[in-house]
Amino acid sequence: MAGQGIQRREVLRILGTAAAAAHFPGFSKWTFACGHIGNAALQIKPAEYRPQFFTAAEFPMVERLTEIIIPSDGTPGAKEAGVAEFIDFMVANDPDVKYGLRTGLAWLNAHAEQTDGKPFVELTPEQQTSLLEPLGFKDKARPGAEAGRHFFRMMRKYTVAGFYTSEIGYKELDNPALKFYAESPKCPHPGDPEHADLSSAHS
Amino acid sequence: MAKQIYDVIVIGTGAGGGMAIKTLCEAGLKVCALNAGRRLDPEKDFRYHRMPWDMKFRGLDDPKRLSQSFGYMDNEYTKAAWDHEIPFTVAPGTKWMWPRCNAVGGKTNFWGRSSARFGEIDFRAASLDGYDVDWPLPYEEISPFYTRVEKMIGVASTVQNRPSNPDGSYLPPFNFRCLDFILEAGCKKVGVPYLPDRCAQLTQPHEGHPACHFCGECTTGCDVGAFFSTPYFLLPKAEATKNLELLTNALAKNVLVDENGHATGVAYIDRKTRQEVEVYGRAVVVAASCLESARIMLNSKSRQWPNGIANSSGQLGRNLCDHLYGESARGYLPQLVGQPSFPDHVADSTIAWMPRWQNLKDPHEEKFIRGYSIYPDGGCSEFPWFANELDGFGSSFKREIKRRYPAPVSFGIQAPSLRSDTNFVDLDPEVKDPYGMPVARMHFEWDENVLKMWEHSKQVCAEVLRAAGGVLEGSGEAPEIPGWSLHETGTCRMGNDPKNFVTNRFGQTHDVPNLYVCDASVFLSCTDKTTTISILAFSLRTSEHLIENFRRGEHRAA
Repeated sequence: MAGQGIQRREVLRILGTAAAAAHFPGFSKWTFACGHIGNAALQIKPAEYRPQFFTAAEFPMVERLTEIIIPSDGTPGAKEAGVAEFIDFMVANDPDVKYGLRTGLAWLNAHAEQTDGKPFVELTPEQQTSLLEPLGFKDKARPGAEAGRHFFRMMRKYTVAGFYTSEIGYKELDNPALKFYAESPKCPHPGDPEHADLSSAHS
Repeated sequence: MAKQIYDVIVIGTGAGGGMAIKTLCEAGLKVCALNAGRRLDPEKDFRYHRMPWDMKFRGLDDPKRLSQSFGYMDNEYTKAAWDHEIPFTVAPGTKWMWPRCNAVGGKTNFWGRSSARFGEIDFRAASLDGYDVDWPLPYEEISPFYTRVEKMIGVASTVQNRPSNPDGSYLPPFNFRCLDFILEAGCKKVGVPYLPDRCAQLTQPHEGHPACHFCGECTTGCDVGAFFSTPYFLLPKAEATKNLELLTNALAKNVLVDENGHATGVAYIDRKTRQEVEVYGRAVVVAASCLESARIMLNSKSRQWPNGIANSSGQLGRNLCDHLYGESARGYLPQLVGQPSFPDHVADSTIAWMPRWQNLKDPHEEKFIRGYSIYPDGGCSEFPWFANELDGFGSSFKREIKRRYPAPVSFGIQAPSLRSDTNFVDLDPEVKDPYGMPVARMHFEWDENVLKMWEHSKQVCAEVLRAAGGVLEGSGEAPEIPGWSLHETGTCRMGNDPKNFVTNRFGQTHDVPNLYVCDASVFLSCTDKTTTISILAFSLRTSEHLIENFRRGEHRAA
């Protein structure tokens, strides 16, 4: 619909314009199936993912960032869903965002060194979170850090895109697309058309 | 070697072409149909039952392809069916998007299934408001064809007693979701309608076709055939007659004529061999979709038709109209925040709509003439698009996404542009496609009337959302690019006067009696409603008129 069109395009714009890889590696957490439903799935599951774009120093940063953005906290998060692998794969196919992400990660490391004296991945979780809060929360934003906020927004968009298109993400939302239905689903609240009296299931 | 002469050559296998093919074959005529692309194989080409994590780019598509706007239906799931080879150009100042599905069945493989009838208010709009001219037929004349089409394809809706949106023959409607009841209550307070849409989707088995299983993936192709498409509903019947020869990867180039200017067949490019081939028939039906039909006919130049076949009126390619689409409002419903997930996404389209309520009694009541409709939607969709608008990260972010998941709501406008001398398609004088044919060149701008509708819709939808207890978060900065709606009309308009119209009221061209047009190019305007069911109804009528002409000896059957 029109609403989805506009927000979807924003997400797609972030995911950029690049050539598709002719071959792609298997993903340790992300199953790749080539056949239609019912056919045998071609599963490529190497023990460990080998990044196509991010360096050995960058990839753990990306992993950590995705984990902080969508954590494991009672339900699985971005790390279990292999979102960092997805981001690496998408960025490897998109020359337009490579530079921005790479410099963003370098900026984050420099910022970590300056603030806490160590690279980002070596900081404690509390130190990492407090570095990111001014980038991710509007009411904690500091002047002069627009580049950092822009970088963080990009990381968050990628993380959201990767997480909520994974099976773990579908289950997190109890996505209705996981099921088929025998008849046209009907509002379960007859007698309350304005739905003013619903009690919140999660508060 | 004697060359084969068919009774009818049909260009295109979408709604119009498909209906023509089926009707003509069942009447005993020998038909050769040309389709620009290939047949789709639901097993391989329809990926809708694959989950995003099984798709290479998670359904979000290859970043390289996204640099070209192919429209909302052309995505990683369906890209095999959409044409990416043949360019088009635009006049300076024109923006246009032209997604073309060249697979057999055309856009009927993926269409939105909204199927309201045009009404007398549309056919007699000019008499009511003084703009343009009336259609050359009254609603009563086309009504029986709508009924026959509805029975053929199955449309789910209710009887609503709104002459602007005439009732038809319906299957049980889709049930309302929570958000429908909430928005309906808001609409009632504002005084605008909120009603079940006319959705061409099978809520029960119909004519041998299975009922829908509500997977919500319709616009990526249905491999059970639970909604109308040419390949599922029309081609099997045509093929059963043994009167059909369907040529795929056949890109129509021009209609052939004899020394009297009568159509004798079609020249096409075989996309596999890249050779030009000719097929011959006693009559030709052009049903390649609005802009493509005009391109083919404009390209059919001859001594007798120097400006394109059947173009003595000069109206071929002109009077192009499109639906303005845009996000009139978006926000969320606090009543649904924190609620369990619900299958709001079924029908992958609209379950309900706000059909035109403007200028129904007084054609000049509003600051604009004619009217528009609104498609509301929302609830739990396959991807939480709204997540990027939320603040923060971490557990609170994750939790808030889950809480807000059932709550989004948006309103999309569908408004008709008015015919104008500035809006038309012609052949680019310089640019050629990979096959050496001149490409289509679009000239288009939104008129003031349709832009007033857009502004009006933003106010009304904001009012409805607030009256429903919702939170308004914004609206589209601008309408979608022209061409986005996939509902162009008008390049071959029908009318009684050969000096000003390309075809007569039966879709038969005035200049060339054995040349017929069976798509939306014959429509005078695009109204507030979608076009497919009207294309089917008019194509059925045109096809039966063609058959009648054959019976009378006008085109002499084989």
